[in-house]
Parts: sequence; structure tokens; C-alpha cells
Amino acid sequence: MIADLEEIKGVTLETIYETSEGKLILTCIQCGTCVGTCPHGEYMKYPPRRIIEMLLHGLADKVSDTDSMLKCVNCYACMAKCPRGIHLTEVLLQLIKEQTILKLPTLPAELQKALENSYRYGNPMGESGRKRANWVATSKYPVRILSQNPGPVDVLWFVESYPAYYPRGQDTCRAIAKIFNRLEIDFAILGNEERSAGECGLLAWETGLAEALIDYNISILGKYTFNKIVTSDPHALDAFNYRYRMYGFKKPVYHIIPFLMPYYDKLKSMLTRPLNYSVTYHDSCCLGRHNGFFDEPRALLNAIPGIKLVEMFHHRINSICCGGGGGGMWLDTYFKSQNMERLSDIRIREAIATGADILAVGCPYEIPRFEDALKVAGYENKMVVKDIVELLSESMED
Amino acid sequence: MTNQGNNKDIRIGFYICHCGTNIASTVDVQKVVEFASKLPKVVVSRDYKYMCSDPGQELIQKDIKELGLNRIVVAACSPFLHEKTFRNASSQAGLNQFYFQMVNTREQNSWVHLDPYASTEKAIDLVRAAIYRVVYHKPLEQKRVPIHPDVLVVGGGIAGIHAALTLANAGKKVYLVEREPSIGGHMAMFDKTFPTLDCAACILTPKMTAVKNHPNITLWTYSEVIGVDGYVGNFKVKVRRKPRYINEDLCIGCLDCIEACVYKEGRFYDEFNLGLSKRKPVYIPFPQAVPLLVVIDPETCIQFKSGKCKQTCVEVCEPNAIDFTQKERIEEIEVGTIIIATGFQTFDPKKIPYYGYGTYPNVYTALEVERLINASGPTQGQIVLRDGTRPKSIAIIHCVGSRDKNTNQWCSRVCCLYSIKLAHLLKERTEAEIYNFYIDIRTPGKMMDEFFIRMKEEGIKFIRGRVADIYPDTSNGCCGKLVVKAEDTLVGEIIKVPVDMVVLSIGLEPRADAQEIRRMFNITCSTEGFYIERHPKLAPVNTFTDGIFLAGCCQGPKDIPDTVAQAGAAAAEALTLIDTGYIEIEPNTAFVLEDDCSGCKSCIPLCPYTAISFLEDKKKAFINEVLCKGCGTCVAACPSGSIVQNLFEDEEIFSEIVGVLNYTYHEEEV
Amino acid sequence: MMENKSNGNGQKEWQPKIVAFFCNWCTYTAADSAGVSRIKYAPNIRIIRVMCSGRVDPQFILDSFAKGADGVLIGGCHPGDCHYQEGNYKCLRRFRLLQRVINSFGIEPERLRLEWISASEADRVRVVVNEMVNQVKALGPLALPQKYEELKKEIEHHPVTSEIKEE
Ligand SMILES: Cc1cc2nc3c(=O)[nH]c(=O)nc-3n(C[C@H](O)[C@H](O)[C@H](O)COP(=O)(O)OP(=O)(O)OC[C@H]3O[C@@H](n4cnc5c(N)ncnc54)[C@H](O)[C@@H]3O)c2cc1C
Ligand code: SF4
Ligand code: SF4
Ligand code: FES
Repeated sequence: MIADLEEIKGVTLETIYETSEGKLILTCIQCGTCVGTCPHGEYMKYPPRRIIEMLLHGLADKVSDTDSMLKCVNCYACMAKCPRGIHLTEVLLQLIKEQTILKLPTLPAELQKALENSYRYGNPMGESGRKRANWVATSKYPVRILSQNPGPVDVLWFVESYPAYYPRGQDTCRAIAKIFNRLEIDFAILGNEERSAGECGLLAWETGLAEALIDYNISILGKYTFNKIVTSDPHALDAFNYRYRMYGFKKPVYHIIPFLMPYYDKLKSMLTRPLNYSVTYHDSCCLGRHNGFFDEPRALLNAIPGIKLVEMFHHRINSICCGGGGGGMWLDTYFKSQNMERLSDIRIREAIATGADILAVGCPYEIPRFEDALKVAGYENKMVVKDIVELLSESMED
Repeated sequence: MTNQGNNKDIRIGFYICHCGTNIASTVDVQKVVEFASKLPKVVVSRDYKYMCSDPGQELIQKDIKELGLNRIVVAACSPFLHEKTFRNASSQAGLNQFYFQMVNTREQNSWVHLDPYASTEKAIDLVRAAIYRVVYHKPLEQKRVPIHPDVLVVGGGIAGIHAALTLANAGKKVYLVEREPSIGGHMAMFDKTFPTLDCAACILTPKMTAVKNHPNITLWTYSEVIGVDGYVGNFKVKVRRKPRYINEDLCIGCLDCIEACVYKEGRFYDEFNLGLSKRKPVYIPFPQAVPLLVVIDPETCIQFKSGKCKQTCVEVCEPNAIDFTQKERIEEIEVGTIIIATGFQTFDPKKIPYYGYGTYPNVYTALEVERLINASGPTQGQIVLRDGTRPKSIAIIHCVGSRDKNTNQWCSRVCCLYSIKLAHLLKERTEAEIYNFYIDIRTPGKMMDEFFIRMKEEGIKFIRGRVADIYPDTSNGCCGKLVVKAEDTLVGEIIKVPVDMVVLSIGLEPRADAQEIRRMFNITCSTEGFYIERHPKLAPVNTFTDGIFLAGCCQGPKDIPDTVAQAGAAAAEALTLIDTGYIEIEPNTAFVLEDDCSGCKSCIPLCPYTAISFLEDKKKAFINEVLCKGCGTCVAACPSGSIVQNLFEDEEIFSEIVGVLNYTYHEEEV
Repeated sequence: MMENKSNGNGQKEWQPKIVAFFCNWCTYTAADSAGVSRIKYAPNIRIIRVMCSGRVDPQFILDSFAKGADGVLIGGCHPGDCHYQEGNYKCLRRFRLLQRVINSFGIEPERLRLEWISASEADRVRVVVNEMVNQVKALGPLALPQKYEELKKEIEHHPVTSEIKEE
């Protein structure tokens, strides 16, 4: 389901019909599946189907005059179900988003701040770049930092901002450090030299910012010798695989979950501490719908003794977005001002309905979003949110 | 025959067709005519608006007679379309028909290119090739193959039934081979049929019985074709007849054995009712089954599983028809023509997980609902959900698995109409609120749109929007309903309709074994798996293999009226062959030039039809013309160039190569 | 369209000529149905019909190059689908050897292509022809006819030619 990157590089609303993607857009049958499946479709004046029809009538400007695309959370639901295979989330919607933001008199403050912070500090929270590797000191297992120890390495672990700074994110970092060490993987991180890969949504909002981050990271990565990149953030995965590629980046990039699959047997033999919980897994949009990793997270969870996996109504390709993608992470206040219910609140109700003890996730955005949603639902003591890597590490006796 | 002298007095006539504007609007016809007129041995070069018309053909015939032409080249459409026409025209004027050559100027030129200059250049190259080639043509005689008068019909759905009856009524002997224990196909599962809403059983059962009773029809159910050899006129077919463990000659269809089975209730998946009911190990698929013979399923029968059954069925069977030792039988038959009528299968909705089939019990396929509605179905026509309750609101979802790049891309053609039919029947029996979710309503055909409009009058709701999601209603006080979520695209709002029952209007797709069947019969199918007709308009039931015809949904989705029409057409095509008694086939066979053959034997193992033998006395290869199918593989492989293929002789092809590549044209013309 | 556009200096862009041998049952039919579907592709191709790809004599290919073809395309049925059971396998075997032969004559192997295109794959005809034309364009003219006599002699005496014939 991936559009041809070469072809869509630098494409605009004017030139899109010259590409095969444009030809696909012409075949839209106006069935409305995209709108019906869009978690925010009800709140968009111009949801995807209407955007296409407006575009075909030369009225795309009218669409970007509204905030419709500000509400798109890049969840790939429309694209995954479109019977014509139109790469909505990957191509067309991004172009409209860019136009939308150019026209907005003021950006929602939170988003503005996140963009600024990313530009100035290399992370959306506005933390100091020099503290990025601070978590390493808290890891029981050694973590090599390339700036201090620049020799060749097999796996370059791209930590990303949320895991690096956010306390619950740092838990996942320590878990990964443990897993990597126990599996005897030759790995290292960039440490303070790393900057946000650029959440794929953010990349869409601001080409200028995106290019700055991409240039920076590509040049830093160019300093070191490594074989592949592994990251626990599906958004970074997409940034590398779909955006950085257009700028000539060639190394293979893996998300940690599929990356661990070849080590399955070895890993499983180390998972000796039973975790007697009922677990439900939330498919992250980027990892699942966009990259098709539905079985791998479940396989890893099932490898942990004691765990009983239960599914929510909406799962796999039909999963519901946590609302954090496409800049949604920094639009909660704005969405609230528009009387929109938070997607994480909707999603958590489904999770709670399963009766599970643990909500397992595979994306760093989801931990804070769902923990907060649990509080709102008054459920924070009955269910916990854990990254799969945390569960793996817990089951691994030291 | 006149005018067929040696190379020296070769007189070529060249004709190019405008095909209205189909060719002439892209190819500069005048320029081609002028060019051809200057080629050596060309006596006359003309163009005409429609070469295939009578005046067009007469033009050629007149020139043959008046100008003494002995070679004809026509640049027009594909040879698949009109080669025969022009060959006939030539031969009627006294010329051997194989002195003719055709240039494909429409399908492979004017229709696929936009630039008139390049198109004309291409036409000129190909015309030159044909004119060079035709010089080497030889007078040949067409081979005549006799047609065995018996016919094989594969598949006993409405298509196969109708074709078999038509042929049998015309006095031909027909073998009807059906895989399932009964004939009837999908139609036997329905209660009513659109657009007339007549009862399916009422119109089908008499035909099924007629098949059974017809003296000219040999009906083999529970049987499959496992091998086909030979070719048009003379196919040798192997049929495997699976054991039913019932002696067919003795069984009188009283069904006492079913009653007497040690299982007092049905316990096993009932195939015909799609699992909506249970059957015993000894069963008939449905009450009107033809033949009315029971089947014992060895997978579930205790006698087969443990050998320790009380065999109450055997005790009760007076004619002593039950025979646990029955073995499968292989029958070998000879037929001259074959009709393939293997039908379709329905799309498996589990491939669209967000419609919840298999997860939510109240999501049904349309086919299951056909069984629920059917008076002889698992609920005797009562519309009740799996928990026994009657639905008060029903969503029917169109296009499930059709018109979707992720599943099947085609429109299944009957789903809109059967959805409307089901809406009516469901409403009639339950008075439920019915919502049809559709992308486009497609109701072509006689009386079809009128039917749709009538159903709208009945108050059935139609919502234009493809369903995006189905999930359980968890809102307060709700009771196991499913929410159907879609954009109502005409209103521009997202709607969430809670319903008791969801019906998925699953599309029609090729049978899972379509590829194997196609290989066995040496016919072609499209990438998706529907068998391809020889020409979409002019030869809709023929295949590319002579003597094999198509009928019904195995060729593409269609409704019953079209299926029956096609079955009739297929029967007529077979009859034409049988009553003619022979078929003329292309004389494109190969032969060995004995003098040149070095006796190296390299050709012998290459021939797929073992047509080549080695004459030990002469130490030469010999090709049996009757067995040779004319592929030319041996010709290409003969190191001494001593095998010749009629119609595709080396000289002919080499002169085509010279023709298409001649660059001198540029220097002359540009 | 791409062909015969003037390149700005009023001169015509060079256009390769591709000779194609299509089997009657699959690829030729596919090319017909491309026409029926009005699919457009590059006009540089000259199709010669043979009953089966197995009929394609190595000499046809060498001769095509020798007489000025810039590329040769062979089209047959997919493996297992040959109307004559396995003519296409025979063709495939010859094709592999032929690539070696033309290479040894200094003809880039990319100028010779073998494709399985079934009767239903009309669009595949477009894709393959366009790809082939672009590829040959990139390679430039072959212009063998000048060296024709020379090559012909070589072909006749080349040991691999007889090797192919004998399979
Ligand atoms: C839910 C539904 C409702 C429909 N309602 C209507 C309607 O109301 N009106 C209408 O006009 N049309 C309707 N149709 C369409 C209708 O079903 C078809 O037009 C019709 O059944 C086609 O008949 P057929 O004989 O070609 O195929 P089938 O009915 O599929 O029959 C093919 C037969 O061949 C047998 N077979 C298959 N492979 C082999 C093999 N290898 N060897 C031997 N035997 C084989 C099968 O067992 C079967 O008996 C409906 C279709 C569906 C799915
Ligand atoms: S789902 Fe695809 S085809 Fe349907 S309206 Fe949306 S873009 Fe068009
Ligand atoms: S990507 Fe998700 S949020 Fe964005 S338009 Fe598509 S379905 Fe809606
Ligand atoms: S008939 Fe097509 S390759 Fe043999």
C-alpha cells in the first residue's frame, strides 16, 4: 500500500495528475468508505471523499480554507480501506494539510510550540538537547554512545524524543537496553547528537522544518558506520522509510517489534518469569495499518508465559487511532475547543470493555495518551499501559 | 485452379481497410496504398472503407478474376476477426485460400498508438512484411477432422442443465458430470429469483428431473473429470466417480436409512445449508435433489471410522442398497465437443475483517440468507437469527468483495438485484426495517430497474455509501445490536445504524480450482480466473480451443436469464459442429524434408504429442500429420533445417523480418 | 506520445525498432485485447505472429538483429499455460543460450527479452513494450546491417549456434 516514492517526491496539487497516484485519484468511486472509517470524519467539513471531489472540480482551495485536514490524525484508516487503493494518507491529504497550515492565520498554540521546539531543540517538548542521553545513566545494562565511542556497530538504535525524555518512555529505553544486551546484539545510540526524526505528521505540516531535521540527522548518521537502524517509535520508522528515502537515505530501518522476530526462539527461551495477566493489544496505526505488522506484536506477547491475549472490537486493520498521529499529539486542546471527543478516550473504553489488566502498545505516544485516558475514565488503578518491550523485559529474569 | 503459377508470375493485390475511421483516423491509408503499389510484384493496391463488407470482398474477387491476381494481402483488423472472411472471399474467386495474408492494422496499430506518423510508418513496415511473405505462400488444403457426436457437459448448475437438455432434445448423447451429489448448482439454493420473484424450485426442479429421465443424458453426479486428451472432434475424457456407498441401481430413494441412522439428530456441517443446520452421516443434500440418492459421508460415518456401528441403516434398507465396500470408479469416454459450465463460488467475506463475518453471529452472507428464506431450508423459511429471535432491523451491504482493489475488482453484476430481492423477501417475512447500503445501484436488463423502483415503493431504505465499519452496539441499555457505520454520501453525513442482522452481498468469483480445470481442458482464463471467450462480442461462448465451449458464470458473473441464454448458445455451437460432422482445421502442421534430415533425432523428444517417430529403415524422422498440432517447436530445433511448418515456413518468417526492418523506406520517403 | 517528437532542433529523435515474436494463443491475443481496450503503447514494435513461442528459431532472432533490429522481444504463455503444453519451456532454454550468444557477438543481452504474457494481460503488453523501448533507447542504435555480412558468417560458424539447435 505504499505509493511510489520516486514519483511523488516534490509532487504538488497541480502536478499530481501526472503521477500514477493522480491517475488513481481520478478513479475514486465516491463510495465514502474513507469518510465512514475516519475517526474524525464527523468533524471535518471536507472529509477525504469530498476532498477528492473538490479537487476534481478545481476547488481544492476551498478545502484548505477550512480546518478539515487539521483534524486528520494520519491514522491510515481511509487509505487502508479505500476500494480504489488511493494512497490518501500518504499523498493527497498531506498536500492539503500543507496548504491548510499555510493559510491558517494562527496555528493552534500547542502545535506551534511543538514545531518551534523541534526546530530549536530537536525535540517537540523543548527539552535541552544535552539531556537527551541522560537516561543512559539509569540503565542497568550498558549502552554505547557513538559520539564517545565511534567505532562501527551493527544496530544503530534511534531512540527518539518521547522515549528519551518522557519518564515512562525512559522505562521503555531501559527495557530495550536490557533486551539488546541479553540477546547480545551489537548496538549503540547517537546520544545527544540525535534529534527528532520528525514525527511523520509534523513532517507534513512544515516542509522547511522537516528538511532541517532530515538534513541534520542524515549528516550525523553519515558520520558513523552501522548496518541498520532500529527504533521503537513507529513514527520515526515511517519518517525514515518514507521521507528520508526521498532525500537519499538508504540504510534499512526496522521497528523494534519486527526486528526482534528473527530472535524469537532465543528470546522466548529467556522469557521465564510468568506474567499472569490478561492483555489487550492496541495496534498502532503506523506499525499496523501502514506497515502491516499485525502478527508480530501478538506473537511476541504470546511468547510471554502467563499472558492471555484478548482482542478489542476494533483491532488489526480496523484498529482505532489513539489520536496522537498527524500532529494530534499537540492538538488535544484545539480538538477540545471544537467539541471533539478525544480518540484516546474512545479507544480506552474499548480496551476497558475487554476486562484486560494490561493495555499493551508498541508506540511511545500511546503510553501518555492512554494513561491519561485511563485517568479520565476513572480506571487508572484497574488497568495499566505497557509497551511490549517493557513486558518482554519484565518476563526476562535478570 | 487458375493463376497459381510459379514465383516468376506472382501477382499481388493489396487492400487496406479504413474500418470507418477506426484505422483511417490514425493510419494515413493513402500513403500506405501508394507505398504498397510500388513494391515488387504488386499489381494493384487499393483502399476501401469497409473491406469486410460485401462490396469490399467483391472488390478483391473482381481483381482476382480481372487482373489475374494470385496473392492477396489485406491490411485491416486482427486475423482473429476476419482472416476467415478474406480467405473465403479469395477461394470463392478461385484462389487457394492460403495465398492470403492479413496485416493487423487496427488492434495492434491504430487502436494502440496516437501518433499518425508513427502509426503509418508501422503500417508500412508490416505491409511490406506481408507482401514479402505472401510470395512464399503455398497452396494448402485444410484438414478435416470428424466430430464424435457425443458431448460432455461439465457442471450441473442451471447452465449445464440447460445445455445438456438442449443437446439431448436435439438427439445428441450427453454426459453430464457434476461434482456434488446433486445437480442444481446455486440456483437450487434460492427461494425466489429476481426480477419476477418466481419460485426457483418451481422452475428448476422440472428441468432437473428432465435431466434424470432423459434417455440421451448420462448423468454422473458426485463425479469429476480428471483427465482430457485429444482434440476437437475426438476428446478422450477420464471421469472419477466417487463412491456414495449406495448401490445406485438398487436405491429407490425412500430415505428410510436416514431416518434409521444411529444418530437420532443431525450432528455434522450441512454443506448445502452452509452449516445453518446439521446433517447425519447418511444424507441427501436437499429434498428435491436429483438424483434422489443418499450419500454416506465416510468422514463422519461410524462404520468407516471405527468399523463398529450397529448399521441400523443397513437393517432398514429393503432393497439392500447400502454397500460400505464401494470403491471409486474411473470411467473413460469419448466425446467430440465439451461444454464447461462449472459456475462460480461466492466471495469469502472473512477477507474483509471489518465486516465481522465469523466474529459476530448476526452477520450473514447473502447465500446463507437465501437458505434461511427458502421454504425447504434450515428454518423452513422462517427468518430467525441464530438465537431464535426475529430481526426487527436489517442492513444489507452491497458490493462485498466486489469493485475493490483489495479483493476483487469487478462488479459481480447480480448483487444489486439479489440484494433488492432479499430486501423484499426479508421485509415481507419479518416486517423489519431494511437498509440497503450501496455504492451504485446497477439494474441493467429487462424489467430490472422497474423491479428496483417497485421495491423503493415498498419502503425499503437505500443509503448511498460503502459501509466502513461494523461493531457491537455498547451504548446504554443496548441489546446485542450491531452498529453499521457509513457515510451517507448523498446527505454528506456519517450515519451509525443499529441493526439486528447484517447481510453481506458477497460477490461472484471464479471457483478455487479454475486454474487446474483450465489447464486440464487447455483453455485460457483471465488473471482473476474467469474463462476467456474467443471474442467478447462475436464468439462469446467459444474458447480458443476448438470444440470446447463455455456456459454460465464460469465465464463471468451473470444472472440466470443470461446464463440460460449462454448455455443455449453453447449447445448450438456444439450442435453446429456435430451436425456438420467435421471441422476444418488450420493446415499448419509440420513435415520432414526427408532428403535433408540427418537423422539426429533431436526433434523426437520435443514433440508434446509424440507425433514424430523415427523410420529405422531410412534413418529419418517422420511426422504423423494427424497427431501434429502445429506448434512448430521441432521446426525451430531442427539443426539441419529439414522440418517445415506449413503457414509458418522459415522463408515466410525470414521475409517478414526483412520486411519489417527495411530501412530503405526512410531514404526514399523522408 | 514519445515517438518522433522533434528534439527542439527540428531533428527527429532516434527511434529504435523492435521486432517481436508473439505466440498466437497468449501474447498475440493479449496484444489484440490491448487494442480492444485502447491501451496505448510505444509504436516502435513490429509484431510477427508464430503459433507458439517454441517456434521461435534462434535464427529468427539473430537474423532480426542482423537485419537492423535494435531489440527483439519474444512473448509466450506463462509456464504451464502453453497451448502446446511446453513450447514455452523449450523457448526459455533456447533464450538462455541465445543471450550468451548475442553477448559474445557484442550485442547487449538487454536487447533480447522474453516475457510471459497471458491472453488476459493486455496491460502487461503496454508495460513490457514501453519498458523495452526505453531500455533499448538508453542503449542506443545497434545498427548491425552494416556489419551484416561479417556477422552472418560468424553466426554460421559459431559453435554455440549448433549447440542451441541441438538443445
Ligand atoms: C446470493 C445469490 C443470489 C442470486 N439470486 C439470483 C436471482 O434471484 N436471479 C438470477 O437470475 N440470478 C441470481 N443469482 C445468480 C445465479 O446464481 C447464477 O446466474 C447462476 O447460478 C449461474 O449458474 P451456473 O450454472 O453458471 O453456475 P452454478 O450455479 O455455480 O453451477 C455450477 C455447477 O457446476 C458444478 N461444478 C463446479 N466445478 C465442477 C467440476 N470441476 N466438475 C464438475 N462439476 C463442477 C458445481 O457443483 C455446480 O453444481 C444469484 C447469485 C447469488 C450468489
Ligand atoms: S474510499 Fe477511496 S474510492 Fe471511496 S470515496 Fe474514499 S477515496 Fe474515493
Ligand atoms: S488518515 Fe485517518 S484521520 Fe486522516 S483522513 Fe484518513 S482516516 Fe481520517
Ligand atoms: S502457445 Fe503460447 S508459448 Fe506455446
